[in-house]
Amino acid sequence: MPAAPFAERARFDARDKVLGRTQFTADIQLPDMLYAMSVPATIAKGRVRSVAIDEAMKIPGVVRVLTAKDFLAPIPPPRGATGMAAAPAVPTIVPDIAYRGAPVALVLAESIEAAVQGAEAIQATYAPSASFSPLITSEGAAREPSEPVKAGNAAEAMARAATIVEAEYECPAQHHNPIETLSTTAVWSGGRLTIYEATQGAQVVKANAAKSLALDPAIIDVKSSYIGGGFGQKGTAQRQTALVARAAMLTGRPVKLVMPRGQVFHNATFRPLSRHKIRIGADASGKMVAIEYDADHQQSRGGQFPPQYHESQPQMYGVADYDGTTANVRIDTQAPGYMRAPHPHPASFAFEGVVDELAYKLGKDPVAFRLAHDAKVDPVSGHPLSSRFLNECIAQGAERFGWSRRSQAPGSMVLADGTQVGFGVACGAYPAITSANIARLRVSADGSTRFAVSAHEMGQGIRTVIAQALLRQLDIDPAKLDLQIGDTSLVPQHLTAGSWGTASVLPAIDAVAAKMKAAIEELLAGRQIDGNLHRKLATVRRPYIEVEVSTLAPGQEERALLGLRAAGYALAGPEYPAFTTFSYIAHFAEVHVEPRTRRVRVPRVVSIADCGRVVSLRTAVSQVRGGVVWAIGSALREETEVDPRFGGWLNNDLADYVVPVNADIGDIDVSFIDRPDPLLNATGSKGLGEVAMVGAAGAVANAIYHATGRRLRRMPIRIEHLL
Amino acid sequence: MTNYADDEDQAAKVDARQNVSRRSALKGGAALAVLPLTFEGPAEAQPTAPMVAGVAVEPAHSVLLSTSVNGKVVEFRVDARSSLLDFLRERLALTGAKKGCDHGQCGACTVHLDGRRVASCLTLAAKAQGREVITIEGLSDGEGLHPMQQAFIDHDALQCGYCTPGQIMAAVALVNEGNATSKERIREYMSGNICRCGAYVGIVAAIEDAASKMRRA
Ligand code: FES
Ligand code: FES
Repeated sequence: MPAAPFAERARFDARDKVLGRTQFTADIQLPDMLYAMSVPATIAKGRVRSVAIDEAMKIPGVVRVLTAKDFLAPIPPPRGATGMAAAPAVPTIVPDIAYRGAPVALVLAESIEAAVQGAEAIQATYAPSASFSPLITSEGAAREPSEPVKAGNAAEAMARAATIVEAEYECPAQHHNPIETLSTTAVWSGGRLTIYEATQGAQVVKANAAKSLALDPAIIDVKSSYIGGGFGQKGTAQRQTALVARAAMLTGRPVKLVMPRGQVFHNATFRPLSRHKIRIGADASGKMVAIEYDADHQQSRGGQFPPQYHESQPQMYGVADYDGTTANVRIDTQAPGYMRAPHPHPASFAFEGVVDELAYKLGKDPVAFRLAHDAKVDPVSGHPLSSRFLNECIAQGAERFGWSRRSQAPGSMVLADGTQVGFGVACGAYPAITSANIARLRVSADGSTRFAVSAHEMGQGIRTVIAQALLRQLDIDPAKLDLQIGDTSLVPQHLTAGSWGTASVLPAIDAVAAKMKAAIEELLAGRQIDGNLHRKLATVRRPYIEVEVSTLAPGQEERALLGLRAAGYALAGPEYPAFTTFSYIAHFAEVHVEPRTRRVRVPRVVSIADCGRVVSLRTAVSQVRGGVVWAIGSALREETEVDPRFGGWLNNDLADYVVPVNADIGDIDVSFIDRPDPLLNATGSKGLGEVAMVGAAGAVANAIYHATGRRLRRMPIRIEHLL
Repeated sequence: MTNYADDEDQAAKVDARQNVSRRSALKGGAALAVLPLTFEGPAEAQPTAPMVAGVAVEPAHSVLLSTSVNGKVVEFRVDARSSLLDFLRERLALTGAKKGCDHGQCGACTVHLDGRRVASCLTLAAKAQGREVITIEGLSDGEGLHPMQQAFIDHDALQCGYCTPGQIMAAVALVNEGNATSKERIREYMSGNICRCGAYVGIVAAIEDAASKMRRA
């Protein structure tokens, strides 16, 4: 029986956050702490010849400089290992330079000022490679086909099509740019290494630090209690972690590194440039019957971020025949990675653009056209889609937005001052993935509750979701509820990403609450005691009860827990044994294109999401608004530009990499279908943080077409493209 | 008014008396909590160890700084290169103001200097000489919340919370400047503070809400 709707509650940690009390990694203050500053390579590819540290060591306050000599060889992946276990350790400081900005030294000093001055005084010499490939169009770029995705027979179906549209779309390289940069503090004490790092995967950091530094993972604890925005950047092992840890081990003092943003641009992952060539065929009645879609993206020489651009497109519109290809194009860059809605965001920008083009070609209203393409079955697996209220999202959104006020012809809606107005719609889906979990709950007679579970708080509101679900099940004091997440010393920590947080903690909460209730019942043995659980325990003089549970995703086997314990990775879905599950969203955007400057404004967006049962309405609304802001930034502003002469990124700060500011954002009206998924978990919740963004950039681009008649197929769409 | 000039010595003594070895202090996450992070709270929790960190070696170019931070006089010998942000965070352990860019591009480090909002990463600590600094920690007195802080909670004007102290300090200054007159104006005058989580709709609503309460107060 799926859970009833939830009441709204305030964000669990909002009070500390508005008081400035929330402790982020960079806020950690430890006695005797050293400040670290990394020194980036100034060549795009080659080898370090020498690193002169003498000048740096003369600077008052500089204590030590680490170079490649200070690092041991990492532990190679075990023979025959597959998946995560086969991934090589993230390099430490090594003589080989694979990309501009890779670290060549780490300066340790008594103050930030001395560390910065020390880093500037380091003199490195290099043997640069004769050539390097900075762009996917450069000589030496290596194209490497990857897994295709197919359903039915698209070529055959395409041959029957009465109308075909074909177009190529491109999405640029982009950087996450959470306002908190990368930061690590490491402490080596009593034979244990404790790493405080703003990470979405504490266990990932632990496993990788062990590999990179050739240590037993059992002596490493990683703590990530609050993250100042992650968006996927902080989900992979970072280059700086092992450097800082090694520095703490060599000096015996705590070491903190807050990496400057310019270096983050070069060392962290990013969203790779991707290209999308799509053909959609419709039959004589105007029904989409065939899709052919070739996608590729920029990749580093050894990078592993897969070009999975067919993650949610085949299931969107009930088209049985789909032919999707993918490829990596390997060049000399740091490794790209997962950035919010990694594949569905660029894919939906392209795909929803082509769908819009097709609707126009067929003379159909883009909303009605999408409504006519509901889906019940996943054409790839053949299984039913477990819950899908996309048409409800579209219908409700059209109503709230006032779609009926739109006139179909491009350029037909103009304000008195000549401003062109456009209405655009686009939809999105995101896989509903879930993970195994391990949780421990202790309720005490003194009124306190401690709940340790696998989750990381990066602002999405997972603490609020956990509190909401736990407090609904157990009569405990919310004021003394301590949620201990992101800490590998308590329970194993699964990577938090891919919108699987909520659907992965809820089963653990259900299980732990049931076990706690049973334990209390057994303890009371039929006695009736008034009051909450704390009161009951106090009355029978039991200091506390602690219970532990482990839970699995649908269809998962017990051994998934091994992956969770070892590497923080135990995922299932969106294809479960008998069904496939996605979250859905429909976005409606209004754009205004100014007559003379051609500046594009987005005064309002309406977004309606189907994420199953909504657990925390307030944080869910904020998540969707955030996703829409991201999509507006992506559609109109954000692109990281490669310097083809020297490698590396040109606009590597927040003045030149332009993200949306307050004045760029208008009204964002968000609501939810809030109907439970019948199969994924008992609460009926799917995921939200990623789907929030999917399709929204397409809605903006489609609205620009409607306003101006210009079909712009490359993000970001800027003034110069509309002149 | 408390004078912190001698607190570094004091801190060392307190540490010695309690015999807190580095090892025992660092054993668990809970140990972090023993290091006071603000000036607030009972006298025995006054700043200790964190203020000692980072000054084992006197910087070559130092200046004696005397300033008022959150209503308390602070006297320190500081590195002449030190930004106000690093001074607040690393010397005074007032970590509410955040470093997002260190280049004056994000607003996460916003504090009030003589009542005006400034990017503390672009302000030399030495420039605070004889002036009054207010940080997020000093915005409300004691346990109560400033109307702007309450409004940020009520409108969920935050997600990760990293930009939030800067947003709130900018927002309070904006209202005091008389700029909270319309949504459009608030948006313009809040555009020096980036929220990558995208909480802008909530931030504007919170400022409108708090502005009416601040005017009444
Ligand atoms: S840290 Fe000062 S403006 Fe970004
Ligand atoms: S709340 Fe995360 S950056 Fe604003």
